[in-house]
Amino acid sequence: MDRVKRVLSSRQVVTLVWLIGLIVVWEIVASIVQQTKRTPEYVLPHIYQIVESVFSQNLVNGSQTASQVVLTHAGITLARAGIGFLIGSAIGFALALLMHMFLPVEKIAFPYLMLIQMIPILGMAPIVLAITKDIDKSRIVIAAILTFYPVATNTLAGFKAVEKEKLELMYSIAASKKDVYKKLLIPSSIPYFFTGLKISAPMAITASILVDTLQGGGGLGCMLSQSLKHAMSIYVFWQIVFFSAIIGILSFYLMSLIERLVSPHTKVRR
Amino acid sequence: MEKGVLDMEVRPMKIQFNAADEAVDKKEARKGNQNRLNKDALATVLYPVLFGVLILVLWQTQLLHRILGTDTFTLPLPGRIINIILANAPEILKNVQATVIVAVGGLILGSVLGYLLGIVAMAFPKWGYGGISIASAFTAVPIVAIAPILNNLTKDFSDDPHVRSMLAKTLVVMITCTVSMAINAYRGFTELKPFSLDLMKSYAASKMTVFLKLRVPNSLPYVFTALRISVPASIISALVSEYFAEYIIGVGRQIRESIVLAQYATAWAYILVACLIGIVMYAILLVTEGAVLKGRRR
Amino acid sequence: MLRTRKAIMDYGKDIVSETEEFNAGIVIKNLSVQFPDKNGGEPVEALRNINLEIKPGEFVSLVGPSGCGKTTLLRTIADLQQPTTGSISIGGLTPREVRLQQKFGIVFQNPVLYEWRTVRRNVCMPMEIMGIPKPERTRRVTQMLELVGLYHFGKKHPHELSGGMQQRVGIARALALRPKILLMDEPFSALDEFTKEKLHLDLQRIWSKTRKTIIFVTHSIQEAVFLSDKVVVLSPHPGRVSAVVEIDLPRPRGLEIKDTAEFNALVSRVRNSFEGV
Repeated sequence: MDRVKRVLSSRQVVTLVWLIGLIVVWEIVASIVQQTKRTPEYVLPHIYQIVESVFSQNLVNGSQTASQVVLTHAGITLARAGIGFLIGSAIGFALALLMHMFLPVEKIAFPYLMLIQMIPILGMAPIVLAITKDIDKSRIVIAAILTFYPVATNTLAGFKAVEKEKLELMYSIAASKKDVYKKLLIPSSIPYFFTGLKISAPMAITASILVDTLQGGGGLGCMLSQSLKHAMSIYVFWQIVFFSAIIGILSFYLMSLIERLVSPHTKVRR
Repeated sequence: MEKGVLDMEVRPMKIQFNAADEAVDKKEARKGNQNRLNKDALATVLYPVLFGVLILVLWQTQLLHRILGTDTFTLPLPGRIINIILANAPEILKNVQATVIVAVGGLILGSVLGYLLGIVAMAFPKWGYGGISIASAFTAVPIVAIAPILNNLTKDFSDDPHVRSMLAKTLVVMITCTVSMAINAYRGFTELKPFSLDLMKSYAASKMTVFLKLRVPNSLPYVFTALRISVPASIISALVSEYFAEYIIGVGRQIRESIVLAQYATAWAYILVACLIGIVMYAILLVTEGAVLKGRRR
Repeated sequence: MLRTRKAIMDYGKDIVSETEEFNAGIVIKNLSVQFPDKNGGEPVEALRNINLEIKPGEFVSLVGPSGCGKTTLLRTIADLQQPTTGSISIGGLTPREVRLQQKFGIVFQNPVLYEWRTVRRNVCMPMEIMGIPKPERTRRVTQMLELVGLYHFGKKHPHELSGGMQQRVGIARALALRPKILLMDEPFSALDEFTKEKLHLDLQRIWSKTRKTIIFVTHSIQEAVFLSDKVVVLSPHPGRVSAVVEIDLPRPRGLEIKDTAEFNALVSRVRNSFEGV
């Protein structure tokens, strides 16, 4: 009896119960919607309907099934988000390094970094598109900007979090600046760097999807708006909703996995 | 606390790697801290301001355009942008009002709801935390998807498209704020210093007393951590949700509309306004945080 | 056991063959250290007019309550702190020269090991910076680990070791560079009594074979009397030397010496030398 109780109250079971509860609530609302609306699928279809559409073989735009549409365009969106993410991470890390090495750089960059946090980057998406005139480039630019802020601030926090005694030890054996950075500061900042990555990975994907919606040229967001405007089955929309949530969560776990591989000694941090 | 040449309080150790560094430090140690504080404060303000001025100059003289490879049509001169703002002030104000109401409304409602949810989660810790974790999965769904869903769901709420849109947009903003606040409030209620609960128990304090006198004050710094994320996020959510709303109003929407009509100068005007909104709201947040958390250790 | 003894003998041989002055004496003259007050008021006098002479190979403890300047004194010797007036000479060189020659060994209260490196690589770290070639580094690391009794823990990460073991790694690392003097800032305060006593014996063994000059900062009178040849008593406000007590107890000292009358008499002498507490 005790064993059963313990199993029942474990974390996984709790999560499962919540999931089931959520699905139940969804279904209830969907049923209500079905009674009251003309086109219920646009408001909130049943989950089984969505699942059904994933496996259905109906062609939605003349040449592809719903799932194929989602997957091909997901590839496009993710690829661009990925490039922007990589560029943003690299710049973020480099900036944090420069900010720590040269005080003037830190003094200049710090307020502007705060500004970037305060202003709505996503809101500037249309203008970035107008400047670059190229949907691909603008996707990459925005993903890069969104990535580089969390990465830069977290990495910088990592540099500053090094214990005083470690720096004093380096000083007492007259280590060169290069050695201090190579052997101490950079390795200790890795956990913080990954925190930044974990925050920005889902954001980069979201940004990429958003830019898609502004203009044609493929990608999940484009399909999203087309689906909404009745150009193809609404189930494409719903599939994209779930798919984007899933890859957002997966990207977080992917970063955690990479961190485990790179630095297996790290204790789990928030 | 021991200090010295290596002034730990200003920033982490300044490492002397050559004789020049050492000479400067020795001199400074003898001059005393007063001078250094002044010089530091000056540098903090001066450098960024100079840099900002540099950018503005590059912009106005169109060197910036050459660097970025664009023209004054898509990237208008600052002077022109300011003019447009001044000329269209009333119109702009109307849109700002709409955006701010949505952002602030969603922020307050969402944060309050999140705090309450945090309380519920604290009262039923086993189920509560799981629930919040699931809820945080919602934030992984991009705004682009949530906004249309909510739009459709609220279609029948009222006959007035303006009101309908307001509701939908506010709900979108609420989602991020609620989740962020709920998680942080829960942590604030439960991440107590060791033995503080034991102390309360030794006074035979009731659960309500423990809550009011220990958990709530402990949660305030966490509340502000959540707000630091929610405030900028609420503005972004408000702006983006305006794209998808029925009624054409709001700063974000105007940015989009202006670009579609190729009126880039107007678009930039609204972008500047959006940035200002963001900065002002964040500044208010920082001031409030300073006042509420006065005296606490960082 | 045998391995450790052999390691110590090898270490000793290395030292002698390397250089004449493998350890140094310290002469401190009229040393004063003042900290400027943050709010522009009166400067804080951490140390006033310290005069001290330490012979090569001596084990010297600095004892005193908080705020007496013992850590400041250690840090000034280590060139982590600049004196306001006065001079320090370590084997004829200024602290700065010794530091630039990479001849300091420091052990902090917190072991400060790098979490991302194994124990072996932690001990290696200063030697990498000094540019010692790999075969020599490997040899010395093995020697050091045997010396502190952690030979089998080389591949482990710091978080897998207990506090006492981590501190032993810290000592191994400090000795790896063959320093002229070993500076220890309350290295055992964070450990429990049992681990402390064992480490006292270990440290005494290491010292007696390597004959390093050791400056040991502690707030425990018993620890100071047990370990040292000489106990320097510091009193606060301003930090000054109240007394220097010679400890002439016979070596090697076992734990049972703490029960003897001579030991306790010395402890009393040290305790009574404090002023203004």
